Amino acid sequence: MPRAYVIVGASLAGATAAITLREEGADGTVTLIGAEHEPPYERPPLSKAYLRGEVPFDKALVRPSAFYAEHGIETVFGTRATRIDPSARLVELEDHRRVPFDALLIATGGRNRRVSIPGGDLEGIYGLRTVQDADRIRKEMVAGRRVVVVGMGFIGSEVAASLRQKGLDVVAIDPSKTPLFRVLGEAVGQTIADLHRAHGVRTIFEDTVARFEGTRRVASVVTKGGLRLECDFVVVGIGIEPAVDMLGDSGIHLDNGVVVDEHCRTNVSGIHAAGDVANHYHPLFDRQMRVEHWHNAVKQGAAAARNMLGKPVVYDEVHWFWSDQYDANLQYAGFHTKWEQLVVRGRLDSDSYLACYVNDGRIDAVVGLNRAKDVRRVMPLIKARRAVDLEQLRDEGVDLRTLHASP
Amino acid sequence: MAAEFVTAVKTSEIPTDGITAIDVRGTRVAVANVGGTYYAFADACTHEQCSLAEEGELAGTTVTCTCHGSEFDVRTGKVLAPPATLPVKVYPVRVAGDALQIEV
Repeated sequence: MPRAYVIVGASLAGATAAITLREEGADGTVTLIGAEHEPPYERPPLSKAYLRGEVPFDKALVRPSAFYAEHGIETVFGTRATRIDPSARLVELEDHRRVPFDALLIATGGRNRRVSIPGGDLEGIYGLRTVQDADRIRKEMVAGRRVVVVGMGFIGSEVAASLRQKGLDVVAIDPSKTPLFRVLGEAVGQTIADLHRAHGVRTIFEDTVARFEGTRRVASVVTKGGLRLECDFVVVGIGIEPAVDMLGDSGIHLDNGVVVDEHCRTNVSGIHAAGDVANHYHPLFDRQMRVEHWHNAVKQGAAAARNMLGKPVVYDEVHWFWSDQYDANLQYAGFHTKWEQLVVRGRLDSDSYLACYVNDGRIDAVVGLNRAKDVRRVMPLIKARRAVDLEQLRDEGVDLRTLHASP
Repeated sequence: MAAEFVTAVKTSEIPTDGITAIDVRGTRVAVANVGGTYYAFADACTHEQCSLAEEGELAGTTVTCTCHGSEFDVRTGKVLAPPATLPVKVYPVRVAGDALQIEV
């Protein structure tokens, strides 16, 4: 029987789900609803090649804009969904339209955390999430101008690199000891700090912004440590929060996003979630996790679509992401929060290393700087969830493909 | 100039289940050896131009560009996984004695 498949969030996860529904022969309507006006696009270029003006926006589109109509995907862009009524099986839109569904996917992603510090509403302070955000920053990007980057997570680190590459004078500030501290830890994070300093970024760690100063427009950043950083503009990258406002009274279980099982299912029958917004159960790690990366959006969007079609696909991808900064390619795979041992292949003080986060002799996660192949070769070892020979893991002479997990 | 087969490399120089980059009259071509069958394609991922010979991981007839995870079928150049959206150009090959010839 034909069904109405509705996807809220014209994101990478949402678009991938729509495309997968059609590829896998969905019988019925497929409707993709998104708050942004643009057709679905990929966000990685927004902090890198697109921000630097090296590629046009079209290159970031998930599919050419004509694709959706050509493939029987109805699109409602530039219109926010405001409420979901699970019992009436309706999505309500801000223009008061009501869209009925039989199967629903929530792929609303996240929105930037707001800075709640004095002066935060001055002009010249930017976040980065959408192409409009990127365009606003691009207008400020003139060589020689002074910028303060607040937050050295992935967005802050990539933006700092792009701004340096365009010849701006960059100061980066983060409350942690290093960039990417929360994910990668101090030893690896230190290498990223070194990378930025080698490219001329002034880094300030273990300090935070006390206030922004300026008349109408930001002119300086004052830190709690007492530094005054004069600047022409500011980019803030302090993370996102899952976009779940419309779900408040839906009865859908919310906890750090939309809680779903390994089949991308919420507690409400017929309603699924995928991408940045989905706090999913991961069978390999036996825990819930919410992952804000490109690869998860693609893979989970596709897995959710298959589950919406009644194909019981378990979503158990080894999470993976990359972060290009300057000429360096940083990659991470797996999942870890703490680690007993950091097993390093190569040297952390060089421009190419692999570091594995190990617990109970098992590799939970790996990070590589300019070691893309090695990261990929470690992924099956992570997936195996078994102890490996750590001496061989460390030994550059051992081909990682021959390093089998012990039984 | 019309495309023609050019003797490019000795087959013995391309390791089994490996990829080797070869300069064929100024064109950088990647050659994959899939269990004794050879496939030639442009040595640049269509996403961000990483060398597929250097950064590519071959499994059967699939090459994964490890820079950002794009996957291609070495037989056809077709994209099997994003972020790449455009196929890589493939070149006809033939074996002549101990030499591999590539049509560029």
